[in-house]
Amino acid sequence: MASLGSTRRSRRWLPYVVVGGLLLLIVLRMFYLMSLEGRFNGAFFLRALIDSVKLGSLYALIALGYTMVYGIIRLINFAHGEVFMVGAFVTYFLFTVTPYGWVSALFLAMVLAFGVNRLVALFRASPRDPLTWAATAVSFVALFFLLQAGTWPFWAALIGSMLATGVLGVAIERITYQPLRTAPRNSLLITAIAVSALLQNLGLLTLTNRQTPFRPPTALLDPIQLPIDGLVVQTNGLFFAIPLLTVVLVLVLHNFVRRTRLGRAMRAAAQDAETAQMMGVSVNKVISTTFFIGSVLAAAGGALWGLNFGSLNQPAVLGILPGIKAFAAAVIGGIGSLPGAVIGAVIIGFSESFLTALFPRTGDFQGITEYKDTFAFILLIVVLLIKPSGIVGEDLSEKV
Amino acid sequence: MVTRSATPTTVDAVNPQRRLRNLMLSLGAAALGVLVLYLLDGLGSSKLTQALALFAIWGIATVSLNLINGTLGILSLGHHGFMLIGGYTTGLLTLSEASRQNIVNSGRSTMTDGTLALSVTNLFNTLGLTGLTTPETEWVRFVVAVLIGGLVAAVVGLIVGFPSLRLRGDYLAIVTFGFGEVIRLSASTRIFSPITNGALGFAGVNGSFGKSVWWTFGFLALTVFVISKIKYSSYGRAMQAIREDEVAAEAMGVNLAYHKVLGFVISALFAGIAGGLWVSWLAGVRLEYFLFQLTFFFLVAISAGGTGSITGVLLGTALVVFVRQYGDPLEETYSLQTWLYLAAAVMALASVGAFALRHFRRIRPRFHLSVLVPAVLAVVGVIVASLDPAFLDGTFRGFGMRAIFLSVLLIVIMVFRPEGIVGRTEFSWGRLFGDDRSQPTEEERRQDAWLSNPALNPGAAGPLTSATGTDPSTPSREGSA
Amino acid sequence: MALLEVKNLSKSFGGLMATRDVTFEVGEGEIVSIIGPNGAGKSTLFNLITGVYRPDVGEVTFEGKSLVGLKPNQIVDRGVARTFQNLRLFTNMTVLENVLVSQHHRQRTTLLSSILRLPGYRRQERAARELAAEKLEFFGPRLLSFRLNQPVLVLSYANRRRTEMARAMATGAKLLLLDEPSAGMNPKETVEITQIIRRMRDEGGYTIVLVEHKMNLVGEISDRVIVLDYGVKIAEGAYRQVVDDPKVIEAYLGKRDDRDAPDARDLTNGSAP
Repeated sequence: MASLGSTRRSRRWLPYVVVGGLLLLIVLRMFYLMSLEGRFNGAFFLRALIDSVKLGSLYALIALGYTMVYGIIRLINFAHGEVFMVGAFVTYFLFTVTPYGWVSALFLAMVLAFGVNRLVALFRASPRDPLTWAATAVSFVALFFLLQAGTWPFWAALIGSMLATGVLGVAIERITYQPLRTAPRNSLLITAIAVSALLQNLGLLTLTNRQTPFRPPTALLDPIQLPIDGLVVQTNGLFFAIPLLTVVLVLVLHNFVRRTRLGRAMRAAAQDAETAQMMGVSVNKVISTTFFIGSVLAAAGGALWGLNFGSLNQPAVLGILPGIKAFAAAVIGGIGSLPGAVIGAVIIGFSESFLTALFPRTGDFQGITEYKDTFAFILLIVVLLIKPSGIVGEDLSEKV
Repeated sequence: MVTRSATPTTVDAVNPQRRLRNLMLSLGAAALGVLVLYLLDGLGSSKLTQALALFAIWGIATVSLNLINGTLGILSLGHHGFMLIGGYTTGLLTLSEASRQNIVNSGRSTMTDGTLALSVTNLFNTLGLTGLTTPETEWVRFVVAVLIGGLVAAVVGLIVGFPSLRLRGDYLAIVTFGFGEVIRLSASTRIFSPITNGALGFAGVNGSFGKSVWWTFGFLALTVFVISKIKYSSYGRAMQAIREDEVAAEAMGVNLAYHKVLGFVISALFAGIAGGLWVSWLAGVRLEYFLFQLTFFFLVAISAGGTGSITGVLLGTALVVFVRQYGDPLEETYSLQTWLYLAAAVMALASVGAFALRHFRRIRPRFHLSVLVPAVLAVVGVIVASLDPAFLDGTFRGFGMRAIFLSVLLIVIMVFRPEGIVGRTEFSWGRLFGDDRSQPTEEERRQDAWLSNPALNPGAAGPLTSATGTDPSTPSREGSA
Repeated sequence: MALLEVKNLSKSFGGLMATRDVTFEVGEGEIVSIIGPNGAGKSTLFNLITGVYRPDVGEVTFEGKSLVGLKPNQIVDRGVARTFQNLRLFTNMTVLENVLVSQHHRQRTTLLSSILRLPGYRRQERAARELAAEKLEFFGPRLLSFRLNQPVLVLSYANRRRTEMARAMATGAKLLLLDEPSAGMNPKETVEITQIIRRMRDEGGYTIVLVEHKMNLVGEISDRVIVLDYGVKIAEGAYRQVVDDPKVIEAYLGKRDDRDAPDARDLTNGSAP
């Protein structure tokens, strides 16, 4: 693909020097703080590290959705942040409001069964495959009764939410983005913003701003003690569960994209949708799948986010911040690239927690927490201006 | 040879007689408008005047936003940031002494003596214009403050405009969004809170100007004048060319950087002015008044009305303001049964709408799923609601229904009529009188057909034969006209 | 000194050399055609001259001054304009507006004057419209009268090509680079456009460089023909000369051996007839 302007030879060693330099600065700063005050000890930094790991994983789950959708239809799915929010909400409703009455159970069972349908269809060749229908029917009946049976445990709510949110993603694509496939770019983006606004307001409608604690009974929240430096840091099972789940999901996704027919089709469509279509790839199905998978991951992120912070309001699941930071992560890593999204997410998660730990309140200095969110935006703008293709990056220029 | 001068295509006429006619008509319409405003102002409720004033203020914002979104074709999502800058500037500069004292007394303010002293009154005193510091001349100070607010916003617009030179489409939209949010978020941080008073903001801004129909429509008229003159001038054409095809525009001599940044600066200028009027309308300045939701409303307004014309944009703004001001019934608490009836009504409407669309656009089959599913849902809803079962007991408050309505409206418009209600058609006297012909007369049609196929009309001679010397004996195929 | 001088122009994209060491001159008032098989780098050459791409090596001089490193709109200011192979009109704007846009860069009135519609601005607008009509009139009356106010998207393909050429002329350039001006036109239209291009030079005073595939057009109006193949200039001269040049024939049709018509041997699988 031709690019406008000259191509400059890349300096291979540059990224390594930059990263190395930053790491050095960080370590130096850590030592400085440790010498400054007693409370900046190993435990303090371990806690920050724990937060970074969790945050990075959560952002990764959301960022993957952004990057996949952009890779295929070159759309920044503004509504993805809200899909993440819906994931958290649905999880919440599945473990607090269950058991449901038969009417709601009927409706929910339909949605979840459709989710199962989509999930199984990912791995089957034909949409009319009997196994898929059988699975759908069975799960519908099973879910109808399970939803009325009793309170759902967290893991069940998580899975249910992933399925339901996946369905939401597919629905959004079908109803609003597909008709605009051939429309000018700006129209598509405005529509995405509209969907985002709609979902956000629906969220507001549901919660009406009250404080909503997110505390399902789960072993994951049981405290765990981590000894370090002679001290003990309190954390809980999430420190292991969140990154673990993220890694599992990312590996599943990676293998899916690499090994399965549909995964190959997705990669082909991301490179050149027109030719892929001519080779027999159903671009509609591919796009649908992309939205499904992205939303499933975002839902997992939402559920775990709620669990991690213990509430749906603080920090606000509602609102664009987590979505924007995840989007920034996807851009920094290289939008369109899956490993890029993960790398970017790790960077953002790390800088958000660890950096605030590196510049804490000491004496007169009030710390940089209040700049945290501004920083994410500024970083996004800077990356877009300097290297829009991100770390892994592909260059998308126009041929004259 | 050309015997008549080329007919103008823009809103302005080139022909002097037409210009005079247009001018007379415009003056007449303006006089009529003033009369209508006068009547509404005197006879209407304060709620109506407030709504009208808001329409004017948001009209300034949407028309200026459309300069970038519609004319330049750049999706800019940071307009609320410019309004914030204009609003804070105006608010601070016109704050009364009493309000400043309140801020000092509150004890929680982050402002300094220096920033608290920033006011137009002090400015005039320093300049020796003490005559303009009296209560009677408050309007002068207000206007000056609004203009300064606009200028400060314009300077920021200059900064925000630069990314547009390197980025396009989605990325640029995100960057403008980022700027809007950065402006808003940093307004409460340590760096700027001496000027903005952080989360507290300013209370007690003079509300008489913002709520006045005359001031707001006055500024709106100025905005519409300037922006329409730009849009239908050579500069406007250059901006439209950038929208249509940037590469071609540059190849035809258009300086992309200059025109893009110019668009941003002018847009920001008027957004700042709108911000100043907005804080007056609200009688106070707070960060919550400048959320992204504001830009979202503007987007709905320009998309619903039609990004191609200022008339459309104002129509869309009227719609959005109407929903905002008169949409309270939507946000009341009703019984679940009522909500179900309402939902069923919406479904029925959707069904009818889908059917009408298919019918008029001749899309078959007419009774598609998109028509049947909402219809079925509507019927089911009505049946269930009328049975009044137990699970429908209880009430529900329609929190945020207005925003939901507007979001759904925007989605529907984008999917079914992306060019907006009005589309590209701009109101102009010329159009009303059929000044510019774009359809051929019978004579022209015949001439045209001859041009492409001499075999059709061997007797008729046209001006082109001698010029090109086409050999009438060459086999003619169906040509283009 | 020639109007346009191109010296040792080279450009590569990744590993591909799109243009390699191309050198030629265009004198004032000449019509020069650039021909060559597809992919020979003809459009790239135009892009290099008009500033869309920056050459890796080489010089482009117009009226003695270098064009290298200038932005496309600055090059238009200097007096070089082009049309596009795949047509790049401002589709939602009218014919008249298209031809007016290309005059914008020469207009001297300020923004304020435009806003206030001062007499200077009005005069300029009137003059611009007259110039637009003048340029469109090259193509006969068909683009004037009612078509002026029609958005370009309703126009036929040939009319769009004509509009684009008029638009390029209206920039006030001295040198026009026309990229396949007759693409998509039927024989009658091609003949017409050939005449018009000649009139553009004769009456309009333009110097013209064309990229073309239709040899009858090329033969009819070119003063000189330049042949490119794989980014390299392989021949230059009068049409008659170039067409008989073995290198040129080889570029288009392949080597002699590949080109042989199947003889009787091929048809009967090796055995004698």
